[in-house]
Amino acid sequence: MSAPVQTSRWKAIVLRHETALLAVVVIEWLCFNAIGPRFGSLDNTFDILRHSVEIGLLALVMTPVILTGGIDLSVGSLLGLCAILFGKLWRDAGLSPLTAGGCTLVIGALAGGLNAGLITGLRLPPLIVTLGTYSLFRGLAEAITRGADTFTNFPASFLFLGQERWLGLPTQAWLFGAVAAGVWLLVHRTTFGRSFRAIGFSPEGARYAGLPVQRRLTLVYVLAGVIAALAAVIYTARLGQAKADAATGYELFAITAVVLGGTSIFGGVGTVHGTLLGVAAIAVLNNGLVHARQPREVAGMLTGALLLLALSGSVAPKLWAAWRARSRPSPPPTPSSTTS
Amino acid sequence: MNRYFRELSVAGALLLVLAVMAIFAPGFFQPQPLLSLATREAPTLVVACGMALVIIGRQIDISVGSQFAVCSVCAGLLAAQNVPTALVALAAVTLGAGLGAINGLLVAGLRLPSIVVTLATMVTWREALRWQRQGAFVNLPDSLQWLGLSQSAGQWTLVGLAVALLAVLAYVTRHISAGRLVYAVGTDAEAARLAGIRPQVVTFGTFVLLGTLTGLAAMMNVVQSPQVDPKSGTGLELKAIAAVVVGGVAISGGRGRLWGVFAGLLLLACVAPALTHLHVEAYWEKAIQGAIILLAVVADGVRSRKSNR
Amino acid sequence: MKKLLPLFLTAALLLAGCGKSPEASAGATQASGGAKKITVALLPKSKGNAYFISCKAGAEKAAKALGVDLLFDGPTDTDPAKQNEIVENWITLGVDVIAAACDNKEGISTALRKAQSKGIKVITYDADALPDARAFFVNQATPEGIGYGLMDEAARLLNGEGEFAIILATLTAGNQQEWLRHIKNRLAEKYPKMTLVATRPCDDLKDKAQSEATALMGANANLKLIMNICSPAVPGAAEAVKQAGKAGKVKVIGLGLPSENRRYVKEGVTDSIILWKTEDLGALTVEAAVALVKGTLKAGDKSFQSSAMGEFEIKGDNLLLGKPFVFNKDNIDQFNF
Repeated sequence: MSAPVQTSRWKAIVLRHETALLAVVVIEWLCFNAIGPRFGSLDNTFDILRHSVEIGLLALVMTPVILTGGIDLSVGSLLGLCAILFGKLWRDAGLSPLTAGGCTLVIGALAGGLNAGLITGLRLPPLIVTLGTYSLFRGLAEAITRGADTFTNFPASFLFLGQERWLGLPTQAWLFGAVAAGVWLLVHRTTFGRSFRAIGFSPEGARYAGLPVQRRLTLVYVLAGVIAALAAVIYTARLGQAKADAATGYELFAITAVVLGGTSIFGGVGTVHGTLLGVAAIAVLNNGLVHARQPREVAGMLTGALLLLALSGSVAPKLWAAWRARSRPSPPPTPSSTTS
Repeated sequence: MNRYFRELSVAGALLLVLAVMAIFAPGFFQPQPLLSLATREAPTLVVACGMALVIIGRQIDISVGSQFAVCSVCAGLLAAQNVPTALVALAAVTLGAGLGAINGLLVAGLRLPSIVVTLATMVTWREALRWQRQGAFVNLPDSLQWLGLSQSAGQWTLVGLAVALLAVLAYVTRHISAGRLVYAVGTDAEAARLAGIRPQVVTFGTFVLLGTLTGLAAMMNVVQSPQVDPKSGTGLELKAIAAVVVGGVAISGGRGRLWGVFAGLLLLACVAPALTHLHVEAYWEKAIQGAIILLAVVADGVRSRKSNR
Repeated sequence: MKKLLPLFLTAALLLAGCGKSPEASAGATQASGGAKKITVALLPKSKGNAYFISCKAGAEKAAKALGVDLLFDGPTDTDPAKQNEIVENWITLGVDVIAAACDNKEGISTALRKAQSKGIKVITYDADALPDARAFFVNQATPEGIGYGLMDEAARLLNGEGEFAIILATLTAGNQQEWLRHIKNRLAEKYPKMTLVATRPCDDLKDKAQSEATALMGANANLKLIMNICSPAVPGAAEAVKQAGKAGKVKVIGLGLPSENRRYVKEGVTDSIILWKTEDLGALTVEAAVALVKGTLKAGDKSFQSSAMGEFEIKGDNLLLGKPFVFNKDNIDQFNF
């Protein structure tokens, strides 16, 4: 599907992509700040932060998954399953929220391990495996609770995680920051990150180069499961309730943010800070349109349009160059003449 | 035997389900409800055929559900203005082709990844439709239902149309060069290009075809009841993709047959009513559907690993 | 720098996209800032639902008559956190009163309590939150009233015996589960000869309800009645019954809008539809919300004087809209929503 392109060139495009995306976020911010008198307030900034933590976490771990050329459609459903299992562990098994949270992370890891096992063990396409587990995890959540069981009345000490501030910031923002820093270091400052990209470019090539491809893939899908479970705990704390329909559709928001952030859906190219900017662009748009008194549908439509424009924008220079090369074989194009 | 292993195993699974039904719930095999079930699934079959071609060509389209809704509502609004049925159908199909062409242009023309392009168009069309229509049903004139035929004639027409389309497309993709091009592009676009094929044109063509079929499917659904629900088509993309994958089409392109898709769709379409007949509680349904998809791909994976060794 | 151009174009286009919004809303914002106009924020359970569009129509009329700003927005997807996010956005936006139809009782109460602590008045309509999270509930019918009403109507049509099935929106929707619980309670205590053979979700889609109803009739040869507790399911089930040629043999009842069911009620496929006057619900909600802000509606009041619709009774902290209507062949033409 993807045309083979030189690495250095992609790198240059990615660099530019993030700069431009940052500009989009800033422009959004200024634009909405001019419209809504309370948009720029600290309270609202914290609202944006709190509302985007769960999708942000999913987008963060989706980045290494997509870097390896894979995808994980099951994270939203897994969040739902983990949320109700967390509720069950706390209410029915009588565990403290902390222990229950720890067990939930283990369950997330196991569920991620199921994805990983099918993808690496049987060499199945991630899109299909996670399409299956997307139904399976949500279905299990519904079957366990019979759809109706709702977990609520959590202790205030637990709700602190989702609804209060700690050291000036919303509590969950600290966790988000820690995960973001961790994933950023993993992808950009360790050899793991380089191996993800190598696998994304060519799994065969990576294997011949001596990379443990199966182990690396297992790592990214298990990580996705663990972080989805963490997001489930935060989600439960923010809402004060856990139910089987938690986080319906979040996988698509996460993928949108990652792709908007400049990660190639074919793998091999992308950055974690790009993803964070992608999350910010969508979150600011969604929040700002409320302050602009626009209906939610407009937010959806603009997100779709933004995604298409960002994608088209990222290939436009390449196409332009190709078109120029074809229409005017000589003289060779100079960078300064590429305007208009 | 080996060549058709996947299609045969899906057919085998389908027969197994039917055998279980014959033993435990023979009431499943009444002609009238079965005809109704087939009629309800006919539009999905039409979409799944188009989806199979797109996936064989190594792309994917997750916007079909939204296209379906847009075409349905537009057809409904035209019919409510007493536009002749033939023109309504033409409009639905043309609109579908146009929406497919937008995806096709972005994917083939700008070489953007299809999953992201269609993710964006899926959201955009769905939200735009909700914004415009606010969820109100469209009431249709009586003359539109069953195309003015009697109910059973209408049902047989729709089922016949869907199966005929399947047969034609299955023949074209296997035996006519235009159809073989899709396989060539899906197997290796670069090799296809070197062989003198223009892969971008083929890709564009498959998206337009899928859009056209989606428009037709929308029309086939609209004539089945006197009202159009603007939310219709929600989740259609997942149904179609699941049928295609269970039916043995490789998501990596270049492999699969439309008859397998047919068997896959029948299998999935039977599951929900079969569970109802077996009096299984509804909250198990999603988990069972997920398990079926996983079983189908796991079976495929195990087999291909064995044959690789 | 020049290579940045395409992406700046992206940014500019986005700006153009949201640049349209300021014109549309600036007037409203300024007006509310200048004349201290009251802003009422009305939250439906979901967008794109004919029931809430009807509520909105009534709310808009009332808002116009009272000279207040009306904000109407709600989730476009089924994620339960979305309602909370909208309420929290409204808190920072600084609306005067929030009127919410709650999808998740416990979940949204978190956000509504936060609104109250910031001095924003909160009332609920259609579906209640926890009592401490709001001042009043505009009660169109209690879950108990709806559940018992539907069950009694089913029993009346079947003379108290026979098999019936239920089609609901989703298995996870809070109000659906609550109604289902009351239906089952009533069934257990009063109608021993009736059996509930199946409960199927239709994802709030008419087409899926039609398929489910077809399967239900095939699977249960002695099925006598299909009860639909979400509005798209009523016409869906009716069409399935009609196509199966079982009109009259399998009865259809449910909660729905007259406009979507008129055809089937007149044809005798659907027997009765239970609903309240949705426009009045929207209008009463807005009037009560404004009265709460102005202080004319206080805790402990026994009645509420509406400016357009007369007097309404208050029971505890529930403002009662009045009994639901039963629409049938004889009276459906009198209702136009």
